[in-house]
Amino acid sequence: MTGTPAGGNRGAGGTASPTVDPRQAELPHEGTAELADGAVSADDAVSADGAGPADGAVFADGARPAEPAPGPGAPRLGLVGWLRWGWRQLTSMRTALVLLFLLAVASVPGSVLPQEGVDPSAVSQYYAAHPALAPILNRLSLFSVFAAPWFAAIYLLLFLSLAGCVLPRTFRLVGAARQQPPRAPRRLARLPMAVSYVSPLPPAEALSSAGRLLGGKRFRLRTGDGWVSAEKGYLREVGNLLFHIALLALLVSVGLGGIFGYKANRLLVAGQSFANTPTALDVFRPGRLVSPSNLQPFSVALQSFSATYVSSGPQLDEPETFNAALRYSAAPNSPTRGFALRVNHPLTVDGVSVYLIGHGYAPEFKVTDGAGNVVFNGAVPFIPVEQAGLTSEGVVKVPDAAPSQLGFAGVFLPTAADQNGRLVSEFPAAQNPRVSLVSYAGNLGLNTGQSQSVYQLDLSGMHRLSVAPRPLAVGQSMTLPNGAGKITFTGYRQWISLAVTYDPGQLPALISGILALAGLILSFMVRRRRVFVRAAAGPDGHTVVEVGGLARSDAAGGFEVEFAELARELRTAQDGITESVSSDNDQSLSIREGE
Amino acid sequence: MPITINHGLADASNGFLLTTVVLYALAMLSYACDFAFRKERLIAPEPAQVSELVGVGPAGAAAGSAVLSAPDGPGGSGRGSAAGGPDGAALWPTGFWMRTAFALTCAGLATHLVAIVTRGLAEHRVPWGNMYEFIAAISCMAVLVLVAVSIRFRAYYIGLFVLIPVVLALALDVTVVYTPAGSLVPALNSYWIAIHVTAMIVASGLYIVGAVVTAMYLIADRNERRTLAGLPSRTEGLMMHLPGTTVLDRLSYRTILFAFPVWTFGIMAGAIWADHAWGRYWGWDPKETWSFITWVVYAGFLHARATAGWRGRRAAYIQLAGFGCLMFNLIGINLWVTGLHSYAGLSG
Repeated sequence: MTGTPAGGNRGAGGTASPTVDPRQAELPHEGTAELADGAVSADDAVSADGAGPADGAVFADGARPAEPAPGPGAPRLGLVGWLRWGWRQLTSMRTALVLLFLLAVASVPGSVLPQEGVDPSAVSQYYAAHPALAPILNRLSLFSVFAAPWFAAIYLLLFLSLAGCVLPRTFRLVGAARQQPPRAPRRLARLPMAVSYVSPLPPAEALSSAGRLLGGKRFRLRTGDGWVSAEKGYLREVGNLLFHIALLALLVSVGLGGIFGYKANRLLVAGQSFANTPTALDVFRPGRLVSPSNLQPFSVALQSFSATYVSSGPQLDEPETFNAALRYSAAPNSPTRGFALRVNHPLTVDGVSVYLIGHGYAPEFKVTDGAGNVVFNGAVPFIPVEQAGLTSEGVVKVPDAAPSQLGFAGVFLPTAADQNGRLVSEFPAAQNPRVSLVSYAGNLGLNTGQSQSVYQLDLSGMHRLSVAPRPLAVGQSMTLPNGAGKITFTGYRQWISLAVTYDPGQLPALISGILALAGLILSFMVRRRRVFVRAAAGPDGHTVVEVGGLARSDAAGGFEVEFAELARELRTAQDGITESVSSDNDQSLSIREGE
Repeated sequence: MPITINHGLADASNGFLLTTVVLYALAMLSYACDFAFRKERLIAPEPAQVSELVGVGPAGAAAGSAVLSAPDGPGGSGRGSAAGGPDGAALWPTGFWMRTAFALTCAGLATHLVAIVTRGLAEHRVPWGNMYEFIAAISCMAVLVLVAVSIRFRAYYIGLFVLIPVVLALALDVTVVYTPAGSLVPALNSYWIAIHVTAMIVASGLYIVGAVVTAMYLIADRNERRTLAGLPSRTEGLMMHLPGTTVLDRLSYRTILFAFPVWTFGIMAGAIWADHAWGRYWGWDPKETWSFITWVVYAGFLHARATAGWRGRRAAYIQLAGFGCLMFNLIGINLWVTGLHSYAGLSG
């Protein structure tokens, strides 16, 4: 819809009253008069406009139908009539504008309120902070605005309106491509731009000279008795339609991605690997038509991860680089390859992209139970709770411990330091790693059948062991009271979180975007304009040549310069001999601007 | 690999930017002095009206009996002359104060560019990684557009109105928003920053000038309507130095015509970058949402301007609403909303 400047036939505001603009009343409501030849051939159409913006009548764009105005006394509309009326309403420019602004306004809550699809934990926090308001907002889909039915209603209506406008125009453009320019109006002086001069050539030769010149400038020509009509700039409408059709294609591409693509997350501790199957993925969100058994069969292993941080200056603690050394294979039997995964440098296997989106520490523990058996030995991912020092929290669950199950809630400090008696982490890199544990014994509640978060302890069946939590360094142990066992902090690894996404709509979306931009630029740069030349013998035997110009879609101006240059060239070509203009005539310049 | 910041260059950059603020402030004063002390009209009465009179008069009658001259370039200044600008206006500024103002603006633009380049050299990267740098770059772009528009369309009268917000923004930038030179967080460390953010800066600079000219349009429009209604005009003194609504409207429209495709490109480049960095090309992050809202409102402006009943003042208000969205996205989202684009560098 952008860049379709056109005349008053694009009924928008207040066209119900025919007195607002007589030109609107002249035109068929369908707005089908693409080039409104009927209006042009009636010489009065131009003069009726007077010196006003004649582009509306002569250059009826037909872009958007004028608003139908079934006034009082109009015949009753049947069902078909109402449908037609509704369709015209929907595809009118005013409706499109209103829908466009509705879309903008509807997006606002999505940026102000936390969104389920962007940050689910922020939504839970909002629930906790506003227990009364949150359920109401949720009912209005305000925590998932961009997936809300009312949001979809707006953009689908908008795109329907767009399609209803663009498709008929495309057919009309195809028709217009074979059409000749309109006949020249009788009185060129009434056009927005007009010039007249005397030529030494006889009228017929003056006209053929004008035709040659305009044809050489790639104007489309039509000649008649005593006139030449020329038109140029069809590419504007091409660009305009391309832009809008590409927007429709963009929406379809986004939809394709949503239906046939999937998103997944996976946390991977250094040394671990996983295969791309729904069970191996922590979070798996498939599109509607994705079969979970047919995911691309690649596997990824994390060999090591390193991060560097700014160690001094105002940006202290900010990360500088992340680097994850991966090995991957595209299929179970294909060879493995290495890949350095970084932020802004995803791994692409088989059309699926794997991104580095987070990282943290996984302290390693060895737990010996009361019976002296090693019942746990491994790394446990802890989740960072702050970014500056990467203080991380996590839990260790030891269901196999005897006599009772054991659980630990821990805090990992990469660079532990005493700050006013409180132990904090001063730096995100592990320079002085410490882990501090609170120990519990009892029933972990893993057999209740309810799923449990691996980052939380269900304390309902547990009791806290009376052992003071003291920060352990690597290699240090803590003995639990009452012969419950012993836990050793044996070391730490790092983990990364990966986003795995497959979006088949991506490439179509990119192509649509590029086409939309190309169409936009084309429609902004090209201007559609007409030049008419009339030549006739004057009363004193001289040939009087009139040149008239008309630019629709010249809202930014600029045609007057081109027209002046064209008129000068036409005149020079016809003059042949010399400039025979006396200086006092210079004052009678007759270029008028259309606006 | 840690990047060492060249603190000498960073300090030099700060000095250049301070100099820039002073030069712009002086330029602003000179523009104001020009308005205050100029005796004759800066702008000839609108050419459209003049030639219309000629056209309607008997000499330009449709009978074709009059011999009319072919149009020469207005003022004899050749082909590039005054497309949309006031005909007959001089290519270069006239009058002591206007010349001084324009020279100061150009000098300020030079130190501004040097400040940005030295900052980039000090940090070994494109210098638009936080809000301080971003505001410096956007205001530089706005002045660049100001100078270009001034020369191209002989629109020297917009200088004062563009420099007021620029000086305010830069003054806040060097005092409140200031962030010392530093390196980029890994998320920003991509060649896409040069593409995406540069496009956004170019578009924003154009949008600023567009909004300023539109505000001027609204003042001129009000003046014209009051004059037509026979009411006393309170802005007559100012309007003496400004062109009519037609010229201002076109000037503003031209800047948006440039800005909108660049903004569209910037959003697309951002989407591609987001896909590289975060695994999705569009995720309704607050910054993305507001860039989309801005796009939609400016698209609405372009359509409104082409729709009967909406052009003129209504379209102008829509454009200003779009500009409001742009500013909210730049300032509001950076300061009050957390998202993936939280790079303001203010929260520490």
